[in-house]
Amino acid sequence: MAVQIAPSPLYVGLVVLICFLLVELHRTDRVLSRAFPVMLGLGVLFAGIRVGLTVLTTHGLGRTVLVTLPEATLPRLLGGFTVGGPIEATVLAQAVADAVPVIGVMAAFGAFNSVVAHHELLRSAPKAFHEPALVVTVAITLVPATMRAFQDTREADQARAGRAGRRGRITRTLLPVLETGMERAVALAESMDSRGFARRQATTTERVGSWFVLFGLSMVAGAFVALVAREQLLAVVLGATGALLVLVAVIVSSRAGDVTRYRPRPLTARDLAVMAAAIGAPFGLAMATALGDTTLTWVPGSPVQAPSVGIGPLLALALLLAPALVPPASTVETARRPHDRAEVVSR
Amino acid sequence: MTMSTTSAARPGGPPTALMYLLMTLVGAAAFLYPFWLPAEGGAATAHSADAPLVAAVIGALVVATLALEVRRGTMNGASVALLAVLATLTGMLRLLDLPGGGSGLFFLAVLAGVAFGPRFGVLLGLAAMATSALLTGGVGPWLPFQMLGLAWMAGGAGLLGRLTARLPPAVEVVVVASYAWVWGFIYGAIPNLWFWPFITGDGPTAWQPGLGLDETISHYWAFYVSTSLAWDAAGATTNAVLILITGVAVLRTLRRFSSRLSPVVELVDLAPPEALALSTVEDLPTRRRCQNR
Amino acid sequence: MTAVTWSQVRFAHPDGRTALEGIDLEVAEGDLVLVLGASGSGKSTLCRTVNGLVPHTSGGRFGGVVTVMGRNTSTNRPRDLADVVGFVHQDPEAQFVVDQVEADIAFVLENLGTAPDAMRRRVEESLDALGIAHLRDRSPSSLSGGERQRAAIAGALAAAPSVLVLDEPTSELDPQGADDVLAAVDRLRDDLGTTVVLAEHRLERAGPLADQAVVLEAGVIESRGSVREVLPAYVGAAPVTQLGHLLAWDPVPLTVREARRLAGTMPSPALPPTAPVEAPGDTLATARNLTVGHGRTPVLDDIDLDLGRGEVVALLGRNGSGKTTLLRALAGMHTPSRGRLSVDASVGYVPQNPNALLFAPTVEDELTETLRLRGMPDGGQVESWLQRLDLTALRERHPRSLSAGQRQRVAVATVAVGGAQILLLDEPTRGIDPPSATALETALRDHRQAGGLAVMATHDVELAARVATRVVVLGDGEIVADGPAADVLAGSLFAPQVLRVLPPFLTVDQVAAARGGPATGPRPR
Repeated sequence: MAVQIAPSPLYVGLVVLICFLLVELHRTDRVLSRAFPVMLGLGVLFAGIRVGLTVLTTHGLGRTVLVTLPEATLPRLLGGFTVGGPIEATVLAQAVADAVPVIGVMAAFGAFNSVVAHHELLRSAPKAFHEPALVVTVAITLVPATMRAFQDTREADQARAGRAGRRGRITRTLLPVLETGMERAVALAESMDSRGFARRQATTTERVGSWFVLFGLSMVAGAFVALVAREQLLAVVLGATGALLVLVAVIVSSRAGDVTRYRPRPLTARDLAVMAAAIGAPFGLAMATALGDTTLTWVPGSPVQAPSVGIGPLLALALLLAPALVPPASTVETARRPHDRAEVVSR
Repeated sequence: MTMSTTSAARPGGPPTALMYLLMTLVGAAAFLYPFWLPAEGGAATAHSADAPLVAAVIGALVVATLALEVRRGTMNGASVALLAVLATLTGMLRLLDLPGGGSGLFFLAVLAGVAFGPRFGVLLGLAAMATSALLTGGVGPWLPFQMLGLAWMAGGAGLLGRLTARLPPAVEVVVVASYAWVWGFIYGAIPNLWFWPFITGDGPTAWQPGLGLDETISHYWAFYVSTSLAWDAAGATTNAVLILITGVAVLRTLRRFSSRLSPVVELVDLAPPEALALSTVEDLPTRRRCQNR
Repeated sequence: MTAVTWSQVRFAHPDGRTALEGIDLEVAEGDLVLVLGASGSGKSTLCRTVNGLVPHTSGGRFGGVVTVMGRNTSTNRPRDLADVVGFVHQDPEAQFVVDQVEADIAFVLENLGTAPDAMRRRVEESLDALGIAHLRDRSPSSLSGGERQRAAIAGALAAAPSVLVLDEPTSELDPQGADDVLAAVDRLRDDLGTTVVLAEHRLERAGPLADQAVVLEAGVIESRGSVREVLPAYVGAAPVTQLGHLLAWDPVPLTVREARRLAGTMPSPALPPTAPVEAPGDTLATARNLTVGHGRTPVLDDIDLDLGRGEVVALLGRNGSGKTTLLRALAGMHTPSRGRLSVDASVGYVPQNPNALLFAPTVEDELTETLRLRGMPDGGQVESWLQRLDLTALRERHPRSLSAGQRQRVAVATVAVGGAQILLLDEPTRGIDPPSATALETALRDHRQAGGLAVMATHDVELAARVATRVVVLGDGEIVADGPAADVLAGSLFAPQVLRVLPPFLTVDQVAAARGGPATGPRPR
């Protein structure tokens, strides 16, 4: 969100740097720890595509021409516009300015993925989503066994067929794994039933929850209609109310369960402090704008001017560093629960 | 155990079909916003990165309501287990990079929908996409729409399955493969459409609110052709081919297990009052027959 | 007081097959009941009637009454009985819901709505009762088979049920894991007084634990009583029990220790004439300085081996000693990092898990598929292999609907029908029932006589004693012993039971033969 409010490349660059720091400090060994570089790379790629597309197809906005490429006009079927031609500095700068926030958003998501332990999230899911969350939990638990089954099957098939068995190999590889998976599902179902798992009938609270959902969604639909009718304020009000109603539905449905939770992770004071800081940063930025700071958005203009920075926004962004100051949970609680990691919400 | 004799046999609450319809509408509208959103006034480009995120939030909302609604029915251990196993397999198949550039993501989800029914298909779509996200690229802002897309694809396959169950297996497989092929394009359009405002900024391929339907469509088409048409075609074709190759065997296997979702239990020797009380508490379709021996 | 009562219980599967007929049985509180029988005899079904999995989860037609701690399973679903009955399946891979042992153990408590403090306490107690407290944070996929099963038992015990049902818990484990699990069950019975219903094949360890035994055959109770009454007539009894029955020892021994004492006092048969050791035929495979794997401790280290026609070679050794790797190297799945391995004949590899191989709609189709893949016409091999492994009655059945033992036979037939001269088998007898084991042994002997070579990696010493001509023992990647079966098995850690009681006999059949004439004890068909 901070990136949305302050799309100037310098600020975005700062945010990316902070994200990188957070990832480095809180990196876990899970498979998703590579998410940050992947997401960052993806962001750069998107930005690059965007810049390229814009620069190649938009002309006539500025005076400084950097280079002139051969032109080509695409046939009507593919769009009928002109590609190539003069590449202008202003267009390039503007495109870059627009593209940079994309990188920032991607970086934020990458940091989120790298640092947050997803299965902890699942465990903290509201009770209303108990069964779907359980499905995903079990699905993840089954991954190693499924991979082994694939390996075993491939080896067995290679030994049986040799090089000659190209035809039908897909079926021979997939079916045994599928069958084994199904058999394991039956065994698992028995294990779950034996251990008391069952979804009882929908009770009153859940029916009430459903009505809330109905109203909430209707409101959101109404918000869309309002947008088409150009009633922006009405749209926002309807949308927010609708979302709120759905939230209420979730809370109401959660009370219906008779399932208790083993060792749920309560929100500690530290978590709250981190969340406050994360929310404080965009808020601080918004304040800065309101107070007249103009450095947040960079409009290159023509001729191109460099972006500048202001103190206020810098301070606000510094708040984002708060999670970085929190030591990784592993050094603090190694003795007791080394598998817990602090949830870091970075924006 | 105290047996309740007062709880109604039907879930109650708003009608399920209405709920699903509403969810489809809201989800589709949120996701198709580039086509109908009018200009908001002010600097359009400065806000062009906002709308996708708002749409994503609404998408997440629809996913949540779907998860709530689906829970309103029943879910026993067999459902969870079968869903989980198939979600794992489907999620892992996504990682498979097949020749031609598709991923093996939807062929198993579609086949499972055909074998087990629409509700199972919807749940499987949500679960498989969520699992896949957790296994691979992590949670991105386009995830809600991918989940919804796969859920609708597999759920629709369930409805299709009811129709095609009577056909000879070879014919059924061709029908299902065609269905998957078409949906492959729709599904590919999802992240594509989501990225569109992000990527294009200005120019004739760009999205700007308030352009009007015709212009927007032509802009989008240009974008689509230049970026992902080839990729989506490859993906759709690969999955359709996979269904053609493996469909008969996979459907046969899956259908062998479909009775596990709602087992039919016949209790001989059970006195009538007890059997009746049991069936009131039961929410699974079991058949009770009692004979006094 | 009775914990579990069956009264006129009968059950038929949804497809119509009868599984149980006329079951009347009682289990007293605190007893351990051993449920015996061949695959498909109804053992598993009987176990599942205790907590209502049959009929509520499986579907089907159910008659009669099963009462568990006063509750009727017809009117109580499994979830309602979760606080009195715990159930453990035989597949260690398929029982975990959460990816962490401690959280998985808490699953049953969560479902029962237990208060958080009580949950904590119960989970700790379960972990201690099974001795796995040090594994609490681990993911189940990182545990060994024995550890996983113990964690599954802990998960079943967390709600402190009065009855624990175990359906062949050790059939997919190696001997060490099996010992751990059965020792844990023994401790449970002693410390907690839990009533245990245990279906098992490994009777050397499980026999002494039981108070009562029940033998099922085709869904009907064939015999019941105390363990010593029931076991001697049972086909799958441990070799010492069969030996005692053959020699009319009284009381029939259940363990090697009891047998030794009896052997000291009873007359023993005459020593057999030493059978001539057959010289192996032409060499089919040679290994010289074979090393597989890298680093200071490679998996296989400097192996020298010659394998020839007409041999049945058993590779013995602990887990991690390299026997599976050697087998797979012979199959061509590992390339040597040093040394040489030359294999001069066609090779057929039967994997440890037959489920990795089977996919065709019928058994016969599986075999024809192999021929098709190899590009060979069917000149009667399919028929002959079906006969050799006693599969002709099963030829139209779907391979995945068969029992574990039957599947193993199908897997061997599927690989062997390709006409390979070298058959490599990885743990062929894990989890299979006696009739299947016998069929397998017969097939191996035939293969040997036809001039083939068979190499098995196995933990099953009894199998080696019965069918192997040569035994190679691996330890830490090196060959520790290599020679004729009788020589290597004698005086080693891997001695078969009969050898420990009545040297130099290796098997019950040998004792019977030495007495002259057919054995009077039970013989596997």
